[in-house]
Amino acid sequence: MIPPRHDTRYVGKPAARVDALEKVLGEARFLADINLPDMLYARALRSHLPHARIKRLDVSPALEVPGVKAVITSDDFVDHGNYGFPVKDNYMLAYQKVRYVGDAIAAVAAETPEAALAGVRAIICELEPLPLVTDVERALDKDAPQVGPDRDDGQSPNFLDRSIVQAGDIEKGMADADIIVEGVFSTPHQEHAYLETEGALAIPTPEGGVMLYCSNQSPFINRDNVAMVLGLAPELVRSIQPPVGGSFGGKDDLNYESSAQCAALALKTGRPVRMTFSREESMVASYKRNAMKMWVQVGVRADGVLQACRFRGLLDSGAYASESSFTGWRASIHAMGAYRYDAVDVEVTSVYTNNAFSGAFRGFGNPEVNFAIEQVIDELAEKLDMDPMDLRLQNALRLGDALPHGQKLEESVSLTACLEEARNQSDWDRKRREFPQRNAGSELKKGIGVAALFHGLSLGAEGADYAGATIRIDDDNGVTLTSGFTDYGQGSRTVFTLIAAEVLGVRPDRIDMLRPDTDTAIESGPTVASRATVLGGNATRIAAANLKRILDLAAADLLGCRVGQLIREGESYIGPDETPVSWDDVVAHARKLGFQLSAQGRWQAPTIHWDHHAGRGEPYFAYHFAAQVAEVTVDMGTGQTRVDDIWAVHDLGRVIFPQGAYGQVYGGIAQGLGYALTERVDFVDGYIQQTNFERYLIPNAADMPRIHITLLEDPLSVGPFGAKNVAEPAMVPTAAAIANAVAHATGRRIRRLPISLEQVLLGYDLTPPGTPKRAQQGLWL
Amino acid sequence: MPRFTYTRPDTLSETLRLLADPGHNSRLLAGGTDLLIRLRHDAPNFDRVIDISRLPELKIIEQAGDEVRVGSGVTYTEMINSPLLQRLTPFLIQAARQVGGPQIRNQGTIGGNIVNAAGGADMLPPLVCLDATLHLVSARGERAIALPDFILHPQRTHIRRDEVLSHLTFPTPPPGVRSIFIKLGRQRTSAISRLIVAAMGGLDASGRIDFIRFAPGAVTPRVQRFEEVENLLLGEFPTPERFARAGEEASRVMQALAGDRWSSPYKTPVLQTLTIRALTQIFPT
Amino acid sequence: MQINFTLNNTPIVIDAPPDISLLTLLREHLGVTGVKDGCDVGECGACSILLDGMLVNSCQLLAPQADGRNILTIEGVHDESGGPTDLQRHFIEQGAVQCGFCIPGMILAGEALLAENPNPDREAIAEALAGNLCRCTGYIQIVDAIEATARERQARSGQGGRS
Repeated sequence: MIPPRHDTRYVGKPAARVDALEKVLGEARFLADINLPDMLYARALRSHLPHARIKRLDVSPALEVPGVKAVITSDDFVDHGNYGFPVKDNYMLAYQKVRYVGDAIAAVAAETPEAALAGVRAIICELEPLPLVTDVERALDKDAPQVGPDRDDGQSPNFLDRSIVQAGDIEKGMADADIIVEGVFSTPHQEHAYLETEGALAIPTPEGGVMLYCSNQSPFINRDNVAMVLGLAPELVRSIQPPVGGSFGGKDDLNYESSAQCAALALKTGRPVRMTFSREESMVASYKRNAMKMWVQVGVRADGVLQACRFRGLLDSGAYASESSFTGWRASIHAMGAYRYDAVDVEVTSVYTNNAFSGAFRGFGNPEVNFAIEQVIDELAEKLDMDPMDLRLQNALRLGDALPHGQKLEESVSLTACLEEARNQSDWDRKRREFPQRNAGSELKKGIGVAALFHGLSLGAEGADYAGATIRIDDDNGVTLTSGFTDYGQGSRTVFTLIAAEVLGVRPDRIDMLRPDTDTAIESGPTVASRATVLGGNATRIAAANLKRILDLAAADLLGCRVGQLIREGESYIGPDETPVSWDDVVAHARKLGFQLSAQGRWQAPTIHWDHHAGRGEPYFAYHFAAQVAEVTVDMGTGQTRVDDIWAVHDLGRVIFPQGAYGQVYGGIAQGLGYALTERVDFVDGYIQQTNFERYLIPNAADMPRIHITLLEDPLSVGPFGAKNVAEPAMVPTAAAIANAVAHATGRRIRRLPISLEQVLLGYDLTPPGTPKRAQQGLWL
Repeated sequence: MPRFTYTRPDTLSETLRLLADPGHNSRLLAGGTDLLIRLRHDAPNFDRVIDISRLPELKIIEQAGDEVRVGSGVTYTEMINSPLLQRLTPFLIQAARQVGGPQIRNQGTIGGNIVNAAGGADMLPPLVCLDATLHLVSARGERAIALPDFILHPQRTHIRRDEVLSHLTFPTPPPGVRSIFIKLGRQRTSAISRLIVAAMGGLDASGRIDFIRFAPGAVTPRVQRFEEVENLLLGEFPTPERFARAGEEASRVMQALAGDRWSSPYKTPVLQTLTIRALTQIFPT
Repeated sequence: MQINFTLNNTPIVIDAPPDISLLTLLREHLGVTGVKDGCDVGECGACSILLDGMLVNSCQLLAPQADGRNILTIEGVHDESGGPTDLQRHFIEQGAVQCGFCIPGMILAGEALLAENPNPDREAIAEALAGNLCRCTGYIQIVDAIEATARERQARSGQGGRS
């Protein structure tokens, strides 16, 4: 339910996704749908061992295979194809050693996919196994096998990064507490499981460069990486994003590698080269959400006021650093939950292991810590004999509060409204009271639980936060928009289109948004961190406003009045004499006057400062607040949990594209549901046990609960039309809400995800024998 | 070079002739879901595929005298839509409904489930309860074999290379007999893919159990009726206490047959619970 | 070998190897790219087609199994002028489309359901979609779209109200 607004025509009103028609007709061309004459198929040789030295690599036998046209190794790249940000520890193809099962070693281009696979099989690759480390705690030992690069700072070789938040006097805070709860929590890796797997297409250009089609989230990073490893000037590399079949953070690193591999092969052969992953290859080789191990200790006074929070997190970055420094940082910022404290002491450490590497996944550290802190809050409520909703309401951050980190929250803080709305809609109080009575003597037990969250918007102090957009009117009076932001399903193209339509005063169907393309877009950083709406939306808004300025001048000239006297009616302009002129007439007049009918817009996020050493400052310029309530039925005869309902109340500032916003919440909850109950990623000695959908279970339509969404609009002044974000926060609290509901139903506190049948029934997980076989097999499919 | 050739005979007898041909290693294709998956991992050990998925002789569902015949080519969807099976063997319908997704139900066949999935097949526990007999035909003739004797061990059956599983038969369940199929849902345990209980039961005029069949699935190496559980119930009144004893006995038999496995701490209590639930459903107490 | 079938109301005669999947035949040999490869093991439903009106996973059929049959893919789902059908229109209006990769399969699953059950409740719709995975939408708006289509078709055919 969104409160009806009358101040806009397009923003916030039901709209059709701009690219929905081509998708429902089946006409959208995803990467694997692009077939070109002369195109070669590429395939990578990937490590079947989790940690090994490349003793011998001879690709010449592959060239003898009929149909194979070229083979590359790390030798074919500048600096061995070394890449990675913020830690440059990865390689486009492995150099000297492999660090996880699936690490790419060489790549083949051939006339057919079968020939490419045959070429890969023909490569002579002798791997000398190295000792493994797969446990995060073991990884920190000074004598653990070294996965990560050499360090000269005295840290253990597998130490990657540490983020801290420190405020107040933690000892005093705990001493002032009347009740202290502590617990150890763990969250597993999570597989993105986008329906479209990874891939890239490279087309060599006559000037010695390359044109890339790649389903990644950040075309400029892709372009810069490929230019760097191929020793090309950036202008010679163009990266374009085709329609992408889902990403959720997962289509970067490995897709940068695919792009570079295809580009190198394309330049070597002079022909287009395309690589697409099988599902098994994707599940084995692609990066995951990091697993985390967490120790949480929170102290509260007898009157319910939270005093202090101590948090230690160990983040499994796996074989490479990828985004773990940033994930660990965001996790540390959010670890204590959306509450006031006198003191916090948070430390999140990221380490290397020989599990598959971890990288960005929706939520980016927040779902993990939220699972822990929201359960501890519930446990405190229990000890205080207080309703968990009341304890949260008492301590929830409010407008004017300071975050424990030191930042004052000046606007758009609706957490208590979210909690209260969720409380009312779910009939919380009655159910908290009645379910335990109903449950007595029944094998089917009902429970209801809540989780609250805050989620910092955009990159925060992680990085330079800016965006650019362009807009122009074409000869046919259509409007063309560009943006550096990508749309992989989350609807950013539609959001930008609606914003531009609103500002310009034209119908959205007049506007065409170009595909993200490094040739035509303005670099705007990565499409991550739920930053597209605010950053890209603002840039679009400014570009549209700049263009409107020109049209207003032309209209005023045409109507013989001042700009301030103009009124808009639909697309038309009306002057003091009340005769409307059409938008097309105004555009024609603007051309006559000699105007350039194009404009740019740039927007920079407000400057914020974070002191990494002190662990204090302003982490983000704005926050999303929300609460979700889950109602479950737990079958104590089998340990199964069924989620019956979820009430999700999210304050996203301002809804731009309603169906899109709802879709993000539904979709986020589905991912949170899977994270909570059915999605298992098990690494056994570095071998993933789940390589396709028959073992990796993501929710299907029949698994979904009833979902009741309320979108609150507490506007953010710097957001376009007041908008914030919603994509990531939607999945942050779901698992915690479910776990809290399960605890209410059963009295069992589950501190490990997924909430398995055994944990509910027995109180512990069972360990099946694992096998390397499945993962090894998956590399050849 | 294709890895195999393909042929689609119009009749069962033509199929048998093709199977008997010593010049080829032939593989039957019924629903296809197993063949295509295996081909991804292993090179085919056959050079010819014989498509029997549309053979009308394998599509029968009928009652003949006091016996029911179901062709091996009947799909899960066809089973679900069969008024005869709905009336006589509701638990077969329940089992077919819980095979995941319409696509698989439209393609997968009961014969494929028996011959290919072997030990893990969802259809086995209810068919074992029904005392199903499998009818195999070849160019050499026909033979019938009781279902429990057909399964060698998971993934291997007694079918010979030149044979087609033509149909299965089972005695028509006595009137008034109720049946139940319970399967652990999609939320899996750590790689325990399923736990199944299938049961049939009926009461005599005095209210005592005079008909009982009980077979769990995915708990023992071979699917079989648990006669110890049945004997505990036969001739008795259906009471919660008796069901509880039956549940304990089911777990005990499972332990005896399967030994101590990593999954035992979970399966032991849950088999007990599902046994009680199954019995509670078919015997109104 | 030669395979003859009807594809989206068009007769097809094609020479193709017998040992490829129907999915490969459609995508690689016939350029029918609306049928997607999401997993290749019959779990995700992105490759769903209607085979003689039945929803099946084309990755789990051999190409020759198409012989003599009627196949409908998303390319065959549109109105007379090539625009969207009522179901496709509802998908757009309800916000059921995000990345779009699962959508061809979802639309075919929706059509298969409505052909068999013109008046499904939400639970029946969700069950009918159980073989089609989506990672973006959470399914709710897809169910909304199919429900709205069913309602509209019932109203159009004069049978108002729902059972």
